[in-house]
Amino acid sequence: MRAHIRCEEVGVRFQLDRARNVVTPAYAKLVRSGETVWGLESATLEVCAGEAIALVGRSGSGKTTLLRVLAGVLPADRGTLAITGRVGSLLAIDAGLLGRLTGEENAVLIAVLSGMTRREAAGAMPRIREVSGLGAAFDRPVSAWSQGMRARLGFAVADCMAPDILLLDEVHEALDHEFRAVIEERAHALKQAGGIVVAAGHDHGLLERVCERAVLMQDGRVVDDGPVDRVAGDYVAAL
Amino acid sequence: MEAVALTPRRSVEVIAALTKSDLKVRYGRGRFTLIKWLLDPFAAVGVYLLLVAFVLNRRGYAVGLSIACAVVPFQLVMMTIINALRAVDLRRSVITNMAFDKSLIPVASMCTEAIGFSACFVLIALLMVVYGVVPTVWILMLPAIVAVTLFFATACAFPAALIGLWKPELIPFVMSVARATYFVAPGLIALRYVYGRTHDLLIFNPLTGLFEGFRDALLYGQAPAWWELAYPTAFGVLLIAIVYPLWRNESPHFAKVL
Repeated sequence: MRAHIRCEEVGVRFQLDRARNVVTPAYAKLVRSGETVWGLESATLEVCAGEAIALVGRSGSGKTTLLRVLAGVLPADRGTLAITGRVGSLLAIDAGLLGRLTGEENAVLIAVLSGMTRREAAGAMPRIREVSGLGAAFDRPVSAWSQGMRARLGFAVADCMAPDILLLDEVHEALDHEFRAVIEERAHALKQAGGIVVAAGHDHGLLERVCERAVLMQDGRVVDDGPVDRVAGDYVAAL
Repeated sequence: MEAVALTPRRSVEVIAALTKSDLKVRYGRGRFTLIKWLLDPFAAVGVYLLLVAFVLNRRGYAVGLSIACAVVPFQLVMMTIINALRAVDLRRSVITNMAFDKSLIPVASMCTEAIGFSACFVLIALLMVVYGVVPTVWILMLPAIVAVTLFFATACAFPAALIGLWKPELIPFVMSVARATYFVAPGLIALRYVYGRTHDLLIFNPLTGLFEGFRDALLYGQAPAWWELAYPTAFGVLLIAIVYPLWRNESPHFAKVL
């Protein structure tokens, strides 16, 4: 596995209508709305195999947008992005789950959308059930689940996809201590195998245990890049 | 990025997964699921049957079957449009979390409704028995007519899904317009009983070809006229030619809006 991420001046644009709602590009042309904001202004970043990098910064600084670009959920409206390796992501606590489906039904849906065939997804269910540690709740609709349970399932599916690059966006902060330990263990194993972990969040203690490097985001830009304890420390000291 | 290549097999896998989840959400689970699925078309067609056959007391050749031949394709198109109008928003959680080809969303809307409404054929078979209509060889054209109906429904799903995303407050209006198209087509009264300028104008509604195609194959036992299949197909091709490129440009940005 030789995972690699390279972003050069990557930007993501949000177009607004007159009521300042975000709209799609064609609709913006239709309503002749000219206002544009850059959720990600210019992110330049290189992450090599075996690295774990923390994204730190205030809410709205561009961490989630950058993770979504890396996950392929959002397109880069400018700049260049090159990713080598299979990406697994957990970008929200609800983890793409549909409330009326059971844990297993959701897991199959997410696994297929992530690239598995339905047969492979069905074969992966015992492992997903085991990794998630959800027990009997796995067979119940997720609408009654706690946020932590949803995040557990989302992580278990992402883990079963055997990603080369794992993206985590604050979701680990909704998890209990037992499952945080599972995530930490998986993250270290992935790094040792030549993979990459990119984690955003405000729990600097957890980020420092997983990542050795951090990037400080501010107003959609990368403003600092270095050892996690130094970057996170400077960021907190400047608050 | 090593994105998952979109092969035909991969498309089928994704459509099947989206459709299965959609059906579970729509019909729920448990022992009443099958009953609900079987009764849905009876409820949809029943209201028109009651209106025409009993309240208006219209006479005609197998009037109930004639109405069913219009209501079945109409319900499929209508339900696909209704599903598509909310399809992007309903899949908000997967769209904002996962990278996959969103072109498959309207197709999955059509598949969900097609499976859901396949129970309609139980109703049609029942009405053929009730009215003593004996099938002819032209019933073999039914798969082609159904295929055109599915294609037309899919073509309608793309603009419906975009409108549902762009202007959700227009959803009730779009549903009303879609419903109105039934009444500017020979839905309650077959085209052969409509005369003059009205007859000529009704043909411009692509639903007319679908309704009359079903009637020809199932009710009249004759070959559908060429235009009955060609016109809705051409209309669908035109719709897709206009909307699909727009959809391809817009869909990568859906996660920004949701």
